[in-house]
Amino acid sequence: MTESNDIPIRLTLNKSLKSVFCKPTETLLSLLRDGFGLTGSKRGCNQGLCGACTVLIDGKPMRSCLTIAATCNGRDVVTVEGLLENGKLSTMQQALVDSGGVQCGFCTPGVAIALTSLLREDPKPDRTKIREALSGHLCRCSGYIKIVDAAEAAAEKAGS
Amino acid sequence: MGPGMTFSEPETLDEVCSLLSKDPEARCLAGGASLVAMMNAGLLAPTQLISLRKIPDLGAITSMPDGSVKIGAMARHNDVAAFSGFLGAQRIISAAACRIGHPAIRNMGTIGGSICHADPSADYPTAITAADAVVSILGSEGARQVAARDFFVDWLETTLEQGEIAVSVTIPPDPSNASVHYEKFTRADGDFATVSVAACLGMSDGVVQTFRVVVGGVAEKPVRSPEDEAVFIGRPLKDSDIVEFSAALEALCNPIDDMRGSADYRLKLMPRLISRALKRAQADQLVSDSGETA
Amino acid sequence: MTQEFSAVGLSSARRDSSEKAGGAAKFADDYSVPGMLYGAILGSPIASGRIKSIDLTEAKTVPGVVSILTADDLPDRRVGSFIKDEVTLARGYVRFVGEPVAAVAAETKEAADLAAQLIIVDFEDLPSVCSLDEALAEDAPLVHPGQDDYVRTSETPTNGNIFWSASILEGNPDAVWDSCDVIVEDTYETPGQYHAYMEPCSALAEPDLAGRITVRSTAQSIFYIQGRISDELDIPMSNIRCVAPKIGGGFGGKNGVSVQPIAVALARASGRPVKITLSRSQDMEMLRSRHPTRIRMRTGAKKDGTLVAREAELWFDAGAYTDESPAVLSFGMLCSRGPYNCPNISVKGHAVYTNKLKAGSFRGFGNPQATFASESQLDALAVKLNMDPIELRRKNAMKAGDHWLGGQTVDSCAMTQCLDALDERLKEEVSALPPAEEGWQRGVGVSGLSHISGLMGTSAFVNLRADGTVALQTGVVDIGQGSDTVLPQICAETLRLPLESIAYAAQDTDSSPYNWKTAASRITYTAGRAVMQATVEMRERILRDAADMLECSKDDLELDIGGTVRVVGADRKVSFREIAARAFNRVGGPIVGQHAFAFDGPRFDPKRAAMSNFAFDNLGVYVFGAVGVVVDVDTVTGKTIVQKVWSAHDIGRAINPQSVEGQVQGAVVQGVGYALLEELVWENGRLTNPSFMDYKIPDGMDAPSEITVMLIEEAPEATGPFGAKGIGEAPIVGVAPAIANAVFNATGARLTRIPMTSERVLNGILSL
Ligand SMILES: Cc1cc2nc3c(=O)[nH]c(=O)nc-3n(C[C@H](O)[C@H](O)[C@H](O)COP(=O)(O)OP(=O)(O)OC[C@H]3O[C@@H](n4cnc5c(N)ncnc54)[C@H](O)[C@@H]3O)c2cc1C
Ligand code: FES
Ligand code: FES
Repeated sequence: MTESNDIPIRLTLNKSLKSVFCKPTETLLSLLRDGFGLTGSKRGCNQGLCGACTVLIDGKPMRSCLTIAATCNGRDVVTVEGLLENGKLSTMQQALVDSGGVQCGFCTPGVAIALTSLLREDPKPDRTKIREALSGHLCRCSGYIKIVDAAEAAAEKAGS
Repeated sequence: MGPGMTFSEPETLDEVCSLLSKDPEARCLAGGASLVAMMNAGLLAPTQLISLRKIPDLGAITSMPDGSVKIGAMARHNDVAAFSGFLGAQRIISAAACRIGHPAIRNMGTIGGSICHADPSADYPTAITAADAVVSILGSEGARQVAARDFFVDWLETTLEQGEIAVSVTIPPDPSNASVHYEKFTRADGDFATVSVAACLGMSDGVVQTFRVVVGGVAEKPVRSPEDEAVFIGRPLKDSDIVEFSAALEALCNPIDDMRGSADYRLKLMPRLISRALKRAQADQLVSDSGETA
Repeated sequence: MTQEFSAVGLSSARRDSSEKAGGAAKFADDYSVPGMLYGAILGSPIASGRIKSIDLTEAKTVPGVVSILTADDLPDRRVGSFIKDEVTLARGYVRFVGEPVAAVAAETKEAADLAAQLIIVDFEDLPSVCSLDEALAEDAPLVHPGQDDYVRTSETPTNGNIFWSASILEGNPDAVWDSCDVIVEDTYETPGQYHAYMEPCSALAEPDLAGRITVRSTAQSIFYIQGRISDELDIPMSNIRCVAPKIGGGFGGKNGVSVQPIAVALARASGRPVKITLSRSQDMEMLRSRHPTRIRMRTGAKKDGTLVAREAELWFDAGAYTDESPAVLSFGMLCSRGPYNCPNISVKGHAVYTNKLKAGSFRGFGNPQATFASESQLDALAVKLNMDPIELRRKNAMKAGDHWLGGQTVDSCAMTQCLDALDERLKEEVSALPPAEEGWQRGVGVSGLSHISGLMGTSAFVNLRADGTVALQTGVVDIGQGSDTVLPQICAETLRLPLESIAYAAQDTDSSPYNWKTAASRITYTAGRAVMQATVEMRERILRDAADMLECSKDDLELDIGGTVRVVGADRKVSFREIAARAFNRVGGPIVGQHAFAFDGPRFDPKRAAMSNFAFDNLGVYVFGAVGVVVDVDTVTGKTIVQKVWSAHDIGRAINPQSVEGQVQGAVVQGVGYALLEELVWENGRLTNPSFMDYKIPDGMDAPSEITVMLIEEAPEATGPFGAKGIGEAPIVGVAPAIANAVFNATGARLTRIPMTSERVLNGILSL
C-alpha cells in the first residue's frame, strides 16, 4: 500500500540493486527488517545507543535506527547478512564464533559490522584500537573479552 | 506520523530556507543522530523533513587564505576529528570532535546538527566558543554571521530564527600557536559530558599570550568570561590565578541535577577540570617550546 | 574405558553461534506472520491511583484499530507464585508508573501506539510510597490495602507494607558479642539494577481455528509461561503451545511473564496473530529490576580473625507486586554468612511493597546484595585486625563436610583452593601491571563468593536414530548461556560420540520434556544430570543389544569413540547403526532413554538452625569462588576504573571451558556496572532514567581490559554430570564488594552504598 507522500528510492543492498518506496519517517532499520525481511540488524534501543542495528552505509558503520531510509537513495548499504562470502561466514564472523564471542547473539550483528569495518581500515589493530571500535556496542553477555579476542584472531588469520 | 508528513532533499540552500520559513514544524535533517532519536522516542513529530544531504559542498572543510578554517555545516564529526589543517588554538575543534559519542555516531553526526541542537552538554558548543568561531547563518531574509558566544541562547535553543539555517562555522587563525586541551568528564564511555572544559593556552617567554577557557555542562549554554580571561594575559600562569578564575566562573554557572551528576558535583568538578586542562595544555606548550628551540 | 573425552571438557563453539553471527538466527521480534496485528500497551502514568473510568471512544476511531482490552475484558483473576496479588491489566487500581492498564491491537504499530495514547483513563490520585523509608514510615499509605485477603503459599505475618518476613538463628549472637575482640557494624545500600538484556521483551501469539494458540516469546521457560498464560486467562494448558525462539539474554529478567498474556488476550479477542514488542523504555518501566536493598550488618571476631558472631537485618524493596520476592529475600538471607563458618548468627529479612516497578529475579538472586554487605565487613575486619584480607577469609572458609547457614551439608567445596589460586595470581601479577596514571591512585580488593546450583524439576529424552546418531530433547531454553551446546556435549560424552552426532531439538511445550526454568545456575547441573541419566539408560540398552549381537556378556563390552561397541581386547565390534537397524525393525523396538527428577539434595536442618517463613526448604549444591580486582581512582574526579579482574571458581568440572569463561567474564562486567554505574532512579514515583542514554551499562571501553578466569576443578560434585556444578550466577556475586574494598585500599574511603559513582567516590575522598 503506497501513499502519495511515499518516496521511491534505489539503493544497493548487500551488493544487489533494490528499488523500494519508503515512508517519510521510516528508518533504515524498519525498512531492512519489515520491508526486506533482513532481520539480522536488531532493534535494541532505537536511540543510537546500543549498536545492535549498525550497518555499513557507503562503507562506514552507522546506526540504521537513526538513519531515515529515504536518505539512502543512491547509497550502498551492507547488513550483517551481506558480510557472508559465498554463503559462508566471513573471516570476522567465523572468528566471533570460534573465539566464543557469541553468546545470546543479539549484539553480534552490530559487532560484526563494526569489527569488519575496523579491519578494513586497520588490518592489524591492537586491543585498545579494537575496544575503541567497539565503543557504543553494548553486549550484556560476554564481558567483551572474547569479542576483542575474535577481532585479534581475525586480523591474524587475514594477515597470514 | 501525520498524513501530511513529507520528506525532501533540495539541492539549494535557498530552497531549504524557503521551505523552512513556510512551516514552523518543518525540520532540516543533517546526520539525524539527535533528530531521529527524538522522533523515535515520540518527543518530536515534524511535518516535514528537509534533508541537507544533497546541497553541494555543505560538508567541506577548507583552510582559507587568511589562516582560518571554514567547516561546512554538514561536515561529519569524524571528518573534523581527522582534519589536519587546524593550527594552534584551532585544534580545540578536532580535540572535541574525536570525543563525541562513538565511532558510528561520529560517522553520522554533523557540526551543524550538533550546534543547532544546542545541548549544553555536547562537545562542539563548548569547543567552538573556545575557538572564537563565527557561525554563518542563511535565512530567507538574507545571511548573517554570529559569534559562537552569541549563537547559544538557552537549553536546546540558538539564535536561529524560523527559516534560518547554519551554513558553516569559521575558526579564526591563532597566530600565538596556542596549545589546547579538551577535558571531558563522563560517567561512561561515549556519554555526553557531565562537565567539559575546552582550554586554549598560548605562552611565550613564560607569559600567557592566549587564554581561553570555556566550560560545558554547567549552565544552559557554554560558560565563558572574557573579562576574567584577560587577567591572565601578559603574566606567568599562576595556580592562585586559576583558582580565582574558577571561582569567578562559578558565579556564571547554573547547573542542574541530572543522571550525569548533581549540580553540586558539577560545581566541584569545574575548578578541578579547569586546572587539569590548563596543566595539560601548559605541558604541551613546554614540549612545543622546547621543540622549537631545539 | 579409556579416559580421553569425546566432547566434555572441549571448548566446542556454541552450536547456534554461526546462525547468530550470520544474522540468520530468529529472535521473537524477527518473526512476522501473514495477517499479523501489532499490539501496544498503555502503561499507568501515575504511581498510585484508583481507576474511575476508562474511555475508549477516541482510541477506537484510529484507522486500523482492531481490538482494545481493559481488565473488564479479562477473567477476574489474581495470580502469583507466592502471593496471588498480580493481574494482567490493572483492575480498579494502579500501583506503579508503567503498569499495564489497557492494550490495543491494530494493523500497524503506529496505529496501535496512537490508539493507546488516545485511551483516556480517569484516575483518582492516591498517595504513594516510593522508597523503603516512605513505605516503612509510620502511617505510610498501603500499596495493597487488601493484602490480607490475597491467597498465599505460606501464612507469613504482614505488617503495613511489609508482606513477607523471615528469620534464621544459629547459636546465640547476643550472648557472645562481649567475647569478640573486634566488631564492625554498618548499613549498606544497593540499587535497583536493570537486567539490560539486549533484546527487549516481545511476544507473538498466533491463534488457530481450533482454539489453540501458539506463543513465541522472550522467556527463560516455555513451561512457566504456558502455566502463567493458562492461569491468568483461564485457558487450559492443552490449548497453549509455547515455542522458544532465540533469546537475546535474560539474566533473570525473562524468568517471569512479560507481555505474553496480553498478546494472547489480544490474539483471542481479534482472532488474528498479534505481536507485541516493547520499546526499550517500556521494557525498563514495565517489567522488573534487581531488588534495591538496605542491609544492616554487624560482625564480631577474635584477634586471630576467627569469626564469632554476625547479626544482619535485610530490607528488600520489592516494588508493587510480590513476583519472586519471597524467594529472593530468603536466598539473600541464606547468603548473609557467605562461604565462611561462624557459629552465632541471626538474620532477619523483610520484603516491602513500594509503588515502583516490581523487583524480581536477577543473576545472583539476592546474593549480590548480601555479599556486598558481608564482604565489605570482612574487609573492614581485616583492616582493624591488620590482617591480610585473603588470610582472614582463608581462616574462616568453609570446607567439604561443613554446613551452610540453615544446616544443609556441603559435600563438595573448593573455597580454600579458590582463595589460594587468587592469592598466588595477585602476588605475581599486580606488581607487574603498568603504574596508574598521574593523579590516579591504585587499589587492590578481594571478595569471597558462593552461590547455589540446582532447584526444582527437569527431564530429558534421547533416542537413537537409524544411522547411529542421536536425537536429544529437553525443555531447557538457551537464553545465551550455552545450554544448546553443553547439554548435547554431555549426551555425546556419555555415548563417546562427537558432538556433531547429537541433534538437539528446539523447545516446544507440545513435544519437549518438562523443565522448570533457565535460572538458579541450575541447567548444567540439573538438566545435565537428566540428560546424562537418560543417555545412560539408552547406553545400557545399546550395550545389551550389542551383547546379544556379539554373543558375549555385556560386561565384556566397551564403547569406542565414534559410535561402536567392541569386545574388550578383541577385534569384534558392532556399530550403533547396526544396532539401531536391528532394534528398529526386528528386535525390541526403537532405542530410547529418559530421565526425570527434582532436586533431591540435602535439606535445611532444624537441629542446627531455627528458621521461619522460608520460601523453600532446600536449594541445590553450593559453588564457591574468590575474586580480586585492581582499580585506579582519579582523585580529581572520583572516577574509578577497574583495570584487571581475577575470578576463581569452584566449578566441579567445566563441560565447555570456553563457554564457562564467557559466562564468568560477562557476569564480572555486569558486576562492574552494578558496582560503579547502574542505578534505577525514581523521582515522585517515576523512573527518571528509562533509556540507555540515562541508564548506563559498561561498554567495551568501560569494562576491564583483562578478566582472568581460573577454573578450579579440584572438588568435582559427585551428583553432577561429570562432576559439574553451575556457574551462571556466582561470578557476579563478589564483584561489587571487591571493587569497594579496592576503592578503600586506593583512597581510604569506605563506600557502603553502590553504585560507587564518581560523585560518591569523590565525596568519600573529600570527607576523609
Ligand atoms: C548515542 C549517541 C551519543 C552521542 N554522544 C554525543 C557526545 O558525546 N557529544 C556530543 O556532542 N554529541 C553526542 N551525540 C549527538 C551527536 O553529536 C549528534 O550528531 C548531534 O548532536 C546532532 O547532529 P546531527 O548532524 O545528527 O543533527 P540532526 O540530528 O540531523 O539535527 C539536530 C537538530 O539540528 C537541526 N539542524 C541540523 N542541521 C542544521 C543546520 N545546518 N541548520 C539549522 N538547523 C540544523 C535539526 O533540524 C535538528 O533540530 C550523541 C548522539 C547519539 C545518538
Ligand atoms: S537500535 Fe540502533 S543503536 Fe540501538
Ligand atoms: S552476546 Fe548477548 S548481548 Fe552480546
